[in-house]
Amino acid sequence: MKRATLAVVILLALFALPMVASGYILYLANLLMVFVVLSLGLNILIGETGQFGLAHAAFYGIGIYTAVLLNNATGAPVLVTLLAGASLAALIGLVLGAISLRMRDIYLALSTFAFGEAVRWVFASWTPVTGGPNGLRINPSNLFGFKLVTDRDAYLLVLVVTLAFLLLTIQITRSRLGSAFRAVRESEIAAAAMGVNVRGVKIAAFALSAFYAGAAGGLFTTFSSFIHPESLGFMTTIMVLTMIVVGGLGSVVGAVGGALILGLFSELLRQLLSFQEIIYGAILMLCMMYAPRGLMGLLERKQAGR
Amino acid sequence: MTWELFLLFFQQSLMSGLVTGSIYALLALAMVMIFNTTDVPNFGQGEIFMVASYIALVLLVFASVPYLVMIPLTLAAVFFGGAIFQRLVLKRVALARGASVNLVIATLGLSYFLKGVMRQTGIAEVPRSFPALFPTDSVSIGMATATVQDFAILGLALAAMAAFFLFFHFTRTGRAMRAVGMNPRAAILVGVDIERMRWLVWGLSSAIAALAGILISPKLLMTADMGIVVILGFAAAIVGGFTSLPGAVVGGFVIGIVENMVGLFVSSKAIVVAPFLAIMLVLLLRPQGLLGGKATAKKV
Amino acid sequence: MNAPASLLAIENLTVRFGGLVAVDHVSFEVKPGSIHALIGPNGAGKTTVFNCISRFYQPATGALRFGEHDLLTKPRHRLAELGVARTFQNLELFGELSVFENVLIGTHSQARRTGWLDLFRAGNRPGEHRDRIEHALEQTGIADVRHVKARALDFGRQKMLELARALAVRPTLLLLDEPAAGLRNREIDALDAMLVKLCRTDGLTIVLVEHVMQLVMSISDWVTVLNFGTKIAEGTPAAVQANEQVIDAYLGREQADV
Repeated sequence: MKRATLAVVILLALFALPMVASGYILYLANLLMVFVVLSLGLNILIGETGQFGLAHAAFYGIGIYTAVLLNNATGAPVLVTLLAGASLAALIGLVLGAISLRMRDIYLALSTFAFGEAVRWVFASWTPVTGGPNGLRINPSNLFGFKLVTDRDAYLLVLVVTLAFLLLTIQITRSRLGSAFRAVRESEIAAAAMGVNVRGVKIAAFALSAFYAGAAGGLFTTFSSFIHPESLGFMTTIMVLTMIVVGGLGSVVGAVGGALILGLFSELLRQLLSFQEIIYGAILMLCMMYAPRGLMGLLERKQAGR
Repeated sequence: MTWELFLLFFQQSLMSGLVTGSIYALLALAMVMIFNTTDVPNFGQGEIFMVASYIALVLLVFASVPYLVMIPLTLAAVFFGGAIFQRLVLKRVALARGASVNLVIATLGLSYFLKGVMRQTGIAEVPRSFPALFPTDSVSIGMATATVQDFAILGLALAAMAAFFLFFHFTRTGRAMRAVGMNPRAAILVGVDIERMRWLVWGLSSAIAALAGILISPKLLMTADMGIVVILGFAAAIVGGFTSLPGAVVGGFVIGIVENMVGLFVSSKAIVVAPFLAIMLVLLLRPQGLLGGKATAKKV
Repeated sequence: MNAPASLLAIENLTVRFGGLVAVDHVSFEVKPGSIHALIGPNGAGKTTVFNCISRFYQPATGALRFGEHDLLTKPRHRLAELGVARTFQNLELFGELSVFENVLIGTHSQARRTGWLDLFRAGNRPGEHRDRIEHALEQTGIADVRHVKARALDFGRQKMLELARALAVRPTLLLLDEPAAGLRNREIDALDAMLVKLCRTDGLTIVLVEHVMQLVMSISDWVTVLNFGTKIAEGTPAAVQANEQVIDAYLGREQADV
């Protein structure tokens, strides 16, 4: 099994990385893994279920602020803060999913976009709690009594949680729930006739996707020392959308690949907002023009051509 | 709040709301036109509006082109820009995979691409102000005050809307555009060249956004992020039902007046979030818009 | 308690779209194990009746009973679980998914029966569902294209896939909306044999809306004729074919003459 061997080699390399890598590389690795969890989550909603929700950055932010506030106030174990952030995000995602049931396609895109911007406004304006436009300091997280101060400290935790989410995603994709997601994407009418509870499945996709985003936010707090509402706007949603579009909507491998490639881009171009915007914009347009199924689609086509 | 103050606020927000509302109405009109003919909510419209304003600024201030030349030049440039985007990008996207979500993603791409390019040119590096096209002397009507410029904005926007109304009702091309919006298949059957209509509509809609930009820019601080104003155009279009041109116009004025009332009666901080809440509320309570018809059930 | 004589009973069904009455006080019963055809000229309301039975439309008045269940109290996605499956006139396949996964989704309602945890288990593992899927693929003759995307199939096979997906539901009542439309003669003959076998051997009850009279008359046990939203006749194929009103409806003679 070539694939299994490859997976084992990659896993070993990932776990061995802290022995050889510098602090900056580990920071980059942590950040990329957060992007992976974010794009896996958005892929469930947009790629698998076909629900064009554009509030991902808001759920990411809810995960971050919940984890930070809990951590700063109580010093609760990191897994608790992470789970709390993810659960609150999922709960709000559930409500958003439920109230958005009547909308589809562009109306859904517009209302979730508006929701995302409203939540960002809350982050920026609720100064007593979120620090408002000044941002908020993040105290080191607490893992079984250890303080996670550096990127190196947090790396293994981030890696294990990311891998857990990857496995969960693969399992969901292969499960009957995954089939139900795709059925709703392809034809709501036929899905209902086959016994799929279309409303329930849509709400589940919203909640699950928000859970991932919230957990990604929790992971972010384990290696970062500061959060600013500026970084939780629509641009972040667009970045994650670009990741899954580049990888290929509806493909787990694509979502991971897209997150890694574009995550590197965005970090390298961090100081150059204009370049980031030009590149994301051009990629979104070019992908839709020439590779609507992203890199995975191109790969499939190449294989089929041989 | 005293009755006096209430009256003052009320009249003032009505006055200011009509002025900004006329701009939102233009933006909503442009949005609905594109949605009707190509099935896309144009997420790039804000940046078309922004780039158009900068083109106008560059022509006026850096190239010292007179007003009466600057305006047609800007409109023409943006018209062709919009038309070219439709021909070059959207047509290709529709061929690759016709789903409307793909088209939306492409317009999101356009939005960020334009924003980045404008930042890269350096013109948008510092916030700038656009020279006033009309005198800014105050005029009082009842208890409200406005400037000559405000009246000029309102007047020109209304004139543009009237022109569009005439165009849509009394010219062959305008009627064909409406026909495509109402029923594309039937329009093709009666011999409308739908491809031509699509790029024409994109050009025209972009030019309307440009006109809105030229009119309102003197009242705004210009930055690469000024396209966010178009969110109010979105809100206006949604209030109007997203497919109705008259609805878009009414929606524009409703949003303009409500925005100003929120600013005066609630708080200026709430203005920022109000359009988003308005969009969500309208979509939630009446997905077909306040003025739209009954929602139709999908045929199985 | 006596077993009811009918599996499906439709009583005084009326459907309005705005001011238009699409179906007007229609009643009929379907006997268990029979093939029951619903025919009539275009716009007679046949598909509308179908969409009421499968709960896509809400009738203005009337009652729908399936076995001991009152269908009007059930949401549409519960019907599969009760044993009602349907196909669609204009094909509603899951286009980007493989033939296998299309049929797999047909077994979704059985996952519900076995509990929520089953939702998280892989769909293609061996077991009862797997057997059911294979059986449906074999019955409809599309087992050889199981890995092909539904979108890529030819029209005849897409129709068979619709049927296979409905069979995977393990229905007791199968609603077929124009199963023969667009098929070639040879394919219609095969369909003919398949439906008869499903009914006689597997004990399914089939209600079909159909324009292809060759199919209707050769396999149906009972025919209900609709015209302008009302029932104008019912009976055995032979009786219906001889009915004056039916002939008038199909030839388009003025109703006022009757």
